[in-house]
Amino acid sequence: MRAYWQLTLAQLRIFARNKQVLFFTLLFPVILMLALGSFVGGGNTLSITVGMVDLDQTDASKDLKELFNKNEGIETQSYKKTETGKEAVENGNIQLLIEIPKGYEASLKDKNQAFSLPVYYNEKNLSASELGLTVVNGIIDQYSKQLVDYKPLVTIERVGIEALNLRYIDFLVPGIVAMMIMSNNMNGVAGQISAWRERGILRRMQGTRLKASTFIAAQITARLLLNGTQALLVVLIADLIFNINVAGSWLAMIFFIVLGTLAFMSIGFIIAGIAKNPESAGPIAGFASFPLLFLGGVFFPVSNMPDWFQPIVKVLPIAPLTSALRETMNLGTPIFQLGTETLILGAWLVGGFALASYVFKWE
Amino acid sequence: MLNEIMVDVKGLVKRYGSFVAVKGVEFQVKKGEIFGLLGPNGAGKTTTIEMLVGLRKADEGTANLASFDVRKQVNKVKEVIGVQLQSTSLFELLKVEEILHLYASFYPSNVDIPQLIDDMLLSEKQNDRIKGLSGGQKQRLAIALALIHDPNIVFLDEPTTGLDPQARRTLWDIVLRLKELGKTVILSTHYMDEAHVLCDRIGIMDQGELIALDTPTNLVKKLQATSSVEFRLTNPPEQEWFMKMDGVEEVSIKDTFVQLYTDDLQLALTSLIQVSSEHDLNIKDLQTRTATLEDVFIHMTGRSLRES
Repeated sequence: MRAYWQLTLAQLRIFARNKQVLFFTLLFPVILMLALGSFVGGGNTLSITVGMVDLDQTDASKDLKELFNKNEGIETQSYKKTETGKEAVENGNIQLLIEIPKGYEASLKDKNQAFSLPVYYNEKNLSASELGLTVVNGIIDQYSKQLVDYKPLVTIERVGIEALNLRYIDFLVPGIVAMMIMSNNMNGVAGQISAWRERGILRRMQGTRLKASTFIAAQITARLLLNGTQALLVVLIADLIFNINVAGSWLAMIFFIVLGTLAFMSIGFIIAGIAKNPESAGPIAGFASFPLLFLGGVFFPVSNMPDWFQPIVKVLPIAPLTSALRETMNLGTPIFQLGTETLILGAWLVGGFALASYVFKWE
Repeated sequence: MLNEIMVDVKGLVKRYGSFVAVKGVEFQVKKGEIFGLLGPNGAGKTTTIEMLVGLRKADEGTANLASFDVRKQVNKVKEVIGVQLQSTSLFELLKVEEILHLYASFYPSNVDIPQLIDDMLLSEKQNDRIKGLSGGQKQRLAIALALIHDPNIVFLDEPTTGLDPQARRTLWDIVLRLKELGKTVILSTHYMDEAHVLCDRIGIMDQGELIALDTPTNLVKKLQATSSVEFRLTNPPEQEWFMKMDGVEEVSIKDTFVQLYTDDLQLALTSLIQVSSEHDLNIKDLQTRTATLEDVFIHMTGRSLRES
């Protein structure tokens, strides 16, 4: 037991004194996050901006404008002339333009015939326009029913499922945390262990009464402390700068960070066992981590990939980790609903360490 | 008590594929003895030591260390031995005192660490990182780590290779002090002067075999010739030509460098002078010296320690 604590302490001291490694392993994810978070997306995923031209300038037309202003699903923008509004639609600055023609109030008071509001949209941007038209149609429909005191016999109960205001950065941060866990553990373990073996450090320890299991256990403890802290630090930085909020429990998030760290560490130990020297450990770890980076849903959602490919991607260790972190951080999914992810990561962990202890060698 | 056998090596064989690195080495080391394995690089010294300390499995044969069998009781063996391996490095970013505490934790008991640091002349460096130590200091630290659990038997694999003369002498003092403490020491070296100064008995290894085993003095005495006459000669004649001279027992010629081994230095010198004036030989850099372990090695293998 004394050996275990001493080795853990020694590894933590080595980490603390190797400032360069410490700095860059933390700096890379932070910079990546800052760069992607600031330049890509800017926050809006798909928003509808509706332009309004009020040619009537009456109380009724103001009521209508107010109705659109209050709606949370769309943004509004006022234009003085129809022409400038149309230009904005063409440029794509706004998706729709609603014109309230002169005589709108008068027509409402008349109540005899339906008044039609012209809505301009850009055919080149159909999907956004269609979505906008549906929203606008809904608003107008409800408004007009209200005006005539229409009592429907059958109604639908609108249970507002609050639309998740997910920004790209919210999607990105869990992915970056997962990526960081993967690269720090896989590359870190593989590189360090094979370097220590090459330099005979491990062989010297083999000459003592130290058991391999004690050595590995201490390695795991020290790395868990370091990499877990680093991952949490990235989440905290993201929290401070981009104001991402962890929707689920922090405990669940920490649980998945720990689970991911262990799973990837086990793969790192396997690579360290296979690699003949430290020079080959780097490329092998790179060979394993590079595809995972793109396939694992770090930068793009797994659902964007071809259907036949998705089952493969989902059993690789990175995808369950990113998805579990996303579910926890973005959606606040409780941990017991993430059984599949936990199971896959757990399988990698157990299988990984079993194989790692089989291929581990002191020299 | 002093005749107690601490190390008993029985027919060790190690093969790497078709290459036999160690071919049935056998020897015994008594308690409190400094035993040297002398031989050129690649003679099988390191492989032999690694089999003795349980780092490599012998293909045949075994060894008892403090009456524990290295093949069957490797953990018991590791408790009674301390090792300093050739070309090992340590955690460079740890401090001297920290690594001693680390290695101490690998054993059930350990010696007093400040005292050990003092004994190994590392007091000034105890709070320095290993990275900043000189070669000699690193080697003394490696020996300190070997002694941390107060072992009975200490293995030192080429402890002075690559050190400057001053550092080598400091290390020799430390090794001799181990003997005073009653430790049994097995060390390998390819420096014959080191073997001569330190070792009570020497085993000479060449190409995986132990070709001689005795005290340094006896090894030299066994040479038929106790002195050597050395000189340079442009275009030296054939070996047989020198063998015909009076008193010359053996001849070795390397390019222009000629060595004549003799039991009767005076006779050999006189005949050399006579022959050289008769045949008008132009002898340069003439020297005489008593034979050393190097000569023993040359005598037995036909090669010198350095070149092989």
